[in-house]
Amino acid sequence: MGRSRPEFANRHAKLETDQQTSPAGTGYRSRGWMTRRGALALFGLPLAAIMSRPAEAKPLRIICLDDGLAETLLMLGVTPVAVADREVWEKWVVEPPLPPEVADIGTILEPNLEFLQQLRPDIILSIPYLDGIKPQLERVAPVTTIGIYTPDGQPYRRAIEATRQLATLVGREREGEALIAATETYFSDVRRQLALLSARPVYIVNFLDPRNVRVYGEKSLFQAVFDRIGIRNAWTGETNYWGFATVGIDGLATSDDARLAYLEPLPEGAGSTLTESPVWNAMPFVRNRSIMRLPPVLMFGTLPSASRFARLLAEALTAERAGG
Amino acid sequence: MGAILLCVVLFGAAAAATLSNMSVQLPPALWLDALAGPDIGDMRQVLVHYAFLPRLAVSLLSGAALGLAGTVLQQVLRNPLASPETVGVSAGAYLALALATLLAPSLLAYGREWVALAGAFTALAAVFALSWHKGLSPLSVVLAGLVVSLYAGAIGAALVVLRHEWLASLFIWGAGSLGQQDWSTTLWLLPRLGAAALLIGLMVRPLTLLGLDDEGARSLGVPLGLYRFAGLAAAVALIAFVVAAVGVIGFVGLAAATLARIGGARRLGQQLVMAPLIGASLLWAADQGVQVATGPQGDLLPTGAMTALLGAPLLLWLLPRLALGLETPALGSQHLPRAGRSGLVLAAIGGLLLLLLALALLYAPGPHGWTFASGDQLQPLLSWRLPRVCAALAAGAMLALAGLMMQRLTGNPMASPEVLGISAGAALGMMVALFSLADAGRSVQTVAATIGAFAALLVTLAIGRRAAYAPERLLLAGVALTALFDALILVLTATGDPRAMLLLNWLTGSTYGVDAGSAFFTSTVALCLFLASPLFMRWLDMLPLGSAAVQSLGVNLRATRLLVLLMVAALTAASTLVVGPLTFIGLMAPHLARRLGLSRALPQAIGAVLVGALIMVCADWIGRTAIFPRQIPAGIVATLIGGPVLMWLLRRS
Repeated sequence: MGRSRPEFANRHAKLETDQQTSPAGTGYRSRGWMTRRGALALFGLPLAAIMSRPAEAKPLRIICLDDGLAETLLMLGVTPVAVADREVWEKWVVEPPLPPEVADIGTILEPNLEFLQQLRPDIILSIPYLDGIKPQLERVAPVTTIGIYTPDGQPYRRAIEATRQLATLVGREREGEALIAATETYFSDVRRQLALLSARPVYIVNFLDPRNVRVYGEKSLFQAVFDRIGIRNAWTGETNYWGFATVGIDGLATSDDARLAYLEPLPEGAGSTLTESPVWNAMPFVRNRSIMRLPPVLMFGTLPSASRFARLLAEALTAERAGG
Repeated sequence: MGAILLCVVLFGAAAAATLSNMSVQLPPALWLDALAGPDIGDMRQVLVHYAFLPRLAVSLLSGAALGLAGTVLQQVLRNPLASPETVGVSAGAYLALALATLLAPSLLAYGREWVALAGAFTALAAVFALSWHKGLSPLSVVLAGLVVSLYAGAIGAALVVLRHEWLASLFIWGAGSLGQQDWSTTLWLLPRLGAAALLIGLMVRPLTLLGLDDEGARSLGVPLGLYRFAGLAAAVALIAFVVAAVGVIGFVGLAAATLARIGGARRLGQQLVMAPLIGASLLWAADQGVQVATGPQGDLLPTGAMTALLGAPLLLWLLPRLALGLETPALGSQHLPRAGRSGLVLAAIGGLLLLLLALALLYAPGPHGWTFASGDQLQPLLSWRLPRVCAALAAGAMLALAGLMMQRLTGNPMASPEVLGISAGAALGMMVALFSLADAGRSVQTVAATIGAFAALLVTLAIGRRAAYAPERLLLAGVALTALFDALILVLTATGDPRAMLLLNWLTGSTYGVDAGSAFFTSTVALCLFLASPLFMRWLDMLPLGSAAVQSLGVNLRATRLLVLLMVAALTAASTLVVGPLTFIGLMAPHLARRLGLSRALPQAIGAVLVGALIMVCADWIGRTAIFPRQIPAGIVATLIGGPVLMWLLRRS
């Protein structure tokens, strides 16, 4: 993954030079590769040149295979032509809403290549997890791989880089910087707002079944948000490369004053089974009534998910204090 | 007696591990308090009372139930291969739960155990329906059970691949997690297991008579069908309750029953006592071992998968000591129609294959509905479709030939590369490459899979050598290897490692990643192996006649068998890389060719190869088009369309 960014930058720089030296731009017309800056520059060209290349006024046709990258694109005001696993969006990502015209190209591990080709994309956005199918994707259109979750475990820093990279790609650098700045400002606001509520640590989990949870810690996007809004993560144990550990719920008994925030969606039947379980009922956060239910947030997301998480957590913490 | 000694050793190890695990959680001074009435304020006592102790009870109960069920199954079916998998019960329960999770989650609110139970009994009903007309004869039950099991397993795998975001919890359950949070599972299991065990206890005498041959038993006036049905029902109920409560813990039943027999429990009465004791000790020891490894209440090294990891090598080691008093029926004993003109049959299958090839290459849905590819679209579409179709064709053909060779070599209609563990070995090799090398390309994977297939073959051969490669030994070794591999996969998927999802995708036999280069590679390998195959046909005609007859014809039996097995390994490795180890083309295609009336080796081989290619090309086409733009892996579709065909043929005969 370390490679993909410089590679991208080079390719991009090269295209811009091409544009300056050959206004007709026939060399890359076949792929319709275009940036906004390039499009603006074109308005200065003679009319005949524009007439001969009507396709270039159109926005970039992007197919985005990762929901995290897609949410950033949407925040930049760009709608991808298609995403993978469309119906997952409403259950796991929720906002920003996905416009109805965005096509579904199948599962993330096996996007339909014939369909992909017929959509005539200018670029395909992928993640290192999908490097196995990169050779096939490259036969359809140039592939840009952007890694948020990598072995160095800094998803937030990488999400900022990805925002800049995507903004440059679609020619919306100003919007990109605005999104980054707004996210940072929002975190500072939340930090001030929660100053009085941040004494006790919080576990953030997804239920897999009534007995087991994914608990998020180091190397997760949620940890980065915790750090920025001044909340202590109750889970200090090891996590994998995606920033979570899978443990039984009794593994969450290590801290006496911790609160528990769990994310929807909840597996069917988990709620009722839990309320009957003596182990669950003996957990410190159950006896303290320090449990918060959060609506879904994409756990492997980018800046929009990070803000959404901060907002929902702040609301839950505030409501808990008001209620308790 | 060996069995008692084994039981004592296992029991001792389990007890020691238990004491050690418990003292890690809670100082021994507080044990009595925790047992009698835990202090709710002390989390350690709560965990011992409501998690550690019920888990211990459940492991003992489940182990005993599985050991008992395994023994009864083996007795009733007169087959040392009988296990919860062989009668389709585990797969049926697993599938029912996966379906309920996706389609009717509200059903789960009534209790997941009832859903699993319904699935288990549905699978059993299907097995009975398929083997009823043969009076539930041992062979037909096992064959039907295997088909039902593979079928249910394929649908389950398709669901996981297509909708993996919902099924993380199924992985844990499917791998047999014994974790508990209260005594409810123990109290749920106790009366149910007790009732089934009591029923079995009342039937010891008739069950003993079922071990005799049919005529002997009938002459004593025993209603065979009735007792077989009752015995099977009781055993399946035991398995279903366990699967419903804690998930798939498949290996304990087979291991406990086999160990009891090897340990010297000769009479059924003894086996029915020893097998549950061994099963309980086995699962107890395994579960405590898991907790030693993962710390208290470690839930995520699934015990069910771990028992298979430990149990499979144990069985492999014990196999040469197993006295097989039971005869596996031979392929030649079935009377099947012979086609007068095999050439005509072959031409018909060939014509059908050509027609299907045209459809598979040209006709598919696009953004605007179903269309025939033509004009400008033809070339780009063919560039996607041709490699996949070629690879599917070659893989199907190779698996069919490998299956034919296995069935003729072992004289066992259940034999196939999948059953013999060679596919599992190839998959294992590929898995090691994927997890240990950062960037494993196709050539690396090919080499790794071939090494894996040959390694699996060597293990099988080493075990089979003492018995001059007797079919039963080879099959048992293969089943143990496959269980070992399945266990590894389950452990990996349950850890939630994202690479496991990639692996699972490949395991289901997707042709998605096939490009022109790998399609060319697979086709070339297939062509070379097919060109070598005529050399084997004379041997394949002779082998089913039995070892004495073959040797009297002046053939070196050992050398012949070795050569055939090497050929099978090469065919299997090359095809497994493309379509994964889950298809049962190798099992199915030779049967279909046989049912079409092709009985001599060469026509049957050509027929099987054509049928295998036909099924696989068809599977790939359906997989690419049925739920466009999503895709179903070709391996799964092959199982889904091949299963009913095989069932229909089984019923008709």
